[in-house]
Amino acid sequence: MGGTSSKLPKDLLSEYQELTFLTKQEILMAHKIFSELQDRENGPYSSRVSMEKIHTLPELKSNPFRKRICHVFSTSDMKDGSLSFEDFLDLLSAFSDSATLEIKSHYAFRIFDFDDDGTLDARDLEKLVNSLTGETDDTRLTGEEMRQLISNILEESDIDKDGTVNLSEFQHVISRSPDFVSSFKIVL
Amino acid sequence: SDLVSLSAGARIQAIRSLPMPFNERKTIRLTSFVIIHLCNISNNVNFYLNLNFLASARQHLIIWQDTLKEIGGRFGTSVLSYFLFLKWLLQFNLFSLIINFCFITMPQIVHAPNISSITGFRGLELLTGVGYFNQTVLFYGGYNGEVIVSKPAYNMQLAYFFTIAAYLVLCGVSLIYSMSRSFQKNFVLETGPVSGEAWRLLCSWDFSVVNEKAIQYNKNNLAIQLKESLSERLQEKNKMSLSDRIKHLSLHLLAWLLSLGLALGSGAGIYFLGTDPELVKASTLLLPVVVSLINLIVPLLYSLISTIESYSNPRAKIYISIIRSVILKMSILGILCFYWLNFVPDNISCWESFVGQSVYRLLIIDFIFCLLGIFFGEFLRNVIGTMCIQSLGVPEFDIARNVLDLIYAQTLAWIGIYFSPLLPVMQVLKLFIIFYLKKISLSMNCQPPKHTGRAAQIQTVFIALLFFPSFVGVLSMVAFTVWSLKPSDQCGPFQGLDTPFHTIFNWTDSIQDFPESNWVWWIFENILRSELFYYLISLISFNLSDSILPSVCQEGKDKAFLLNKLQNLQKERREMASYRPQVRVSRVLSGLTYFLFASSYR
Repeated sequence: MGGTSSKLPKDLLSEYQELTFLTKQEILMAHKIFSELQDRENGPYSSRVSMEKIHTLPELKSNPFRKRICHVFSTSDMKDGSLSFEDFLDLLSAFSDSATLEIKSHYAFRIFDFDDDGTLDARDLEKLVNSLTGETDDTRLTGEEMRQLISNILEESDIDKDGTVNLSEFQHVISRSPDFVSSFKIVL
Repeated sequence: SDLVSLSAGARIQAIRSLPMPFNERKTIRLTSFVIIHLCNISNNVNFYLNLNFLASARQHLIIWQDTLKEIGGRFGTSVLSYFLFLKWLLQFNLFSLIINFCFITMPQIVHAPNISSITGFRGLELLTGVGYFNQTVLFYGGYNGEVIVSKPAYNMQLAYFFTIAAYLVLCGVSLIYSMSRSFQKNFVLETGPVSGEAWRLLCSWDFSVVNEKAIQYNKNNLAIQLKESLSERLQEKNKMSLSDRIKHLSLHLLAWLLSLGLALGSGAGIYFLGTDPELVKASTLLLPVVVSLINLIVPLLYSLISTIESYSNPRAKIYISIIRSVILKMSILGILCFYWLNFVPDNISCWESFVGQSVYRLLIIDFIFCLLGIFFGEFLRNVIGTMCIQSLGVPEFDIARNVLDLIYAQTLAWIGIYFSPLLPVMQVLKLFIIFYLKKISLSMNCQPPKHTGRAAQIQTVFIALLFFPSFVGVLSMVAFTVWSLKPSDQCGPFQGLDTPFHTIFNWTDSIQDFPESNWVWWIFENILRSELFYYLISLISFNLSDSILPSVCQEGKDKAFLLNKLQNLQKERREMASYRPQVRVSRVLSGLTYFLFASSYR
């Protein structure tokens, strides 16, 4: 791939259709947008788009989790959050309409796991709540409220009582909120 | 290797659902292909991809896609669900319009235009539906029942009957299908003492909202809701005293009595208004205006009444207000149908056209009130709230009230289809205009609702309300009309028959002359008319419902048991240091969890 007006070859297109949850239109649209991002990339040509460029997309610009999303889906060796086209398709596929609950909850878990240790401990939960509440002083939760909230969350979902929420406990909690599937969605 | 044993479609879906990066999925796919090729298992990948083509083709035909995306991006998924509901209703009406026009109206227009007396067209007819429109194909009276003898012969009675019956059956099937799918996806049995409120709030963060101000607004809302849920948890620990509980219960009782009293009072008022001959002569528009006023004012009174009650959770408040509004609207419609089916046929000639005209007037006045409601309720309220009385604030977009208005209008439209085959034209135009006006009003005047809780479950409730009492009521009314009421003698396709259903009898009798079509008569006589058939159907449906609910509860218990097993396995695995190996090793565990959740959502 590369170049401004390159078209996606047909065999690649059908391979992408088979391996992701996206339809043909969505893949072509993603290819168009990704090529535009590549063109605006300064410096030598590379097949990856840097995290900063991905963050200029209107769908991710104001998303509180944009950094975590890029890190989770990136397969770059340098761990800089840059995305190749396949990573970009993975991202869109997990956030698409037809993705299964299992995929969405798996990636949601990894996005919320701020320290990448495989479990959601109290620090991860605190960072999660802070990303989702306002930054102004009157809307931010006080220290006492935060502690109370985190202990409520752990009480509800920590089944093996180890002080952290692991993937299966998280997926069990998710299965009880049917709004999750319809709100965990990004459409180009 | 277990992927190989699946069918092509299931294998593709299973590979897509693997939570791995793209390149690893590609490798797995290639290895599974190699194994399949070695074992010479035939598969039909192309066929499955062609089904995908159908999905992409459907995407081309979707109207309003950009608009809907914009609305979802600014206001979130719950407000978007109102517009999706509107679009869904539009599809019903478009389909009805097309088949009614093709099978009923066009033959009538082409072969036997039935305009016997043409009165002049005054503009007021658009509102009242009488006069010029009386003899046109808009209403039942404009169709006649003679078999059109030109080649090919076209039996108007059968066409009218079967078109309407087929449409209602298709509607019913489609509603039941949507209802069961929505129920399966969204309805969660609340087991266990903890409500999971905090997690539910965190996990329902709407990723599809892209507007920066809207995201800030959502963040503020979430903070407020989290604080509210924290204080509720603290309050729950204080038990209510007995006298408090009695006081709350009596307030609830009082509120219910007032609401039911209002609904009954409105019904009685409409009944007397409709049967009073002088008032009817004075203005045919009086009744529709009164009905629309009641529909506007009484729900406001209901929300006033509900302020005296105190609810344990805000969801109960929403559901109870929905139930009260539904009782009000259905009692109004019920009274009107009772009047139309019991008194009108004996007193008015060409009574079906009269009923059609009444429905037409109700729909038009409802539309006008909707426009007025947008102007006064949203635009002026916004002006007042931002400029004059600052404390009121910007109005919230009330999803429940708007959806109930849509359901009410759709019920009217369905009632009217038998009596006025071209009524869907009006409904289609109305829904189009309302879509654009609501969107503009939303962007200019409203803000998204603060409590978005359980949007998916409320969606299910709305679809269920559309099916029962709305669709079922219409179906029973039309069935009663067709089965037992005598059609009018001077107009319409069924003139001269005892009941419209006698067309079927006449048709099956005439078929008996053709020995090849004997099977139709046989099916009709022995299956559809036999009581055994209905008994069998009721047996099957009761058995199904008997077995579904206990099995869901049993699955809940199974889930808890398996989850216990899972946590024991997890404890053993927790010594693993880095994350990636844990993912690969616990694929067994995630497979187990996948089985758990897949089986509970079947």
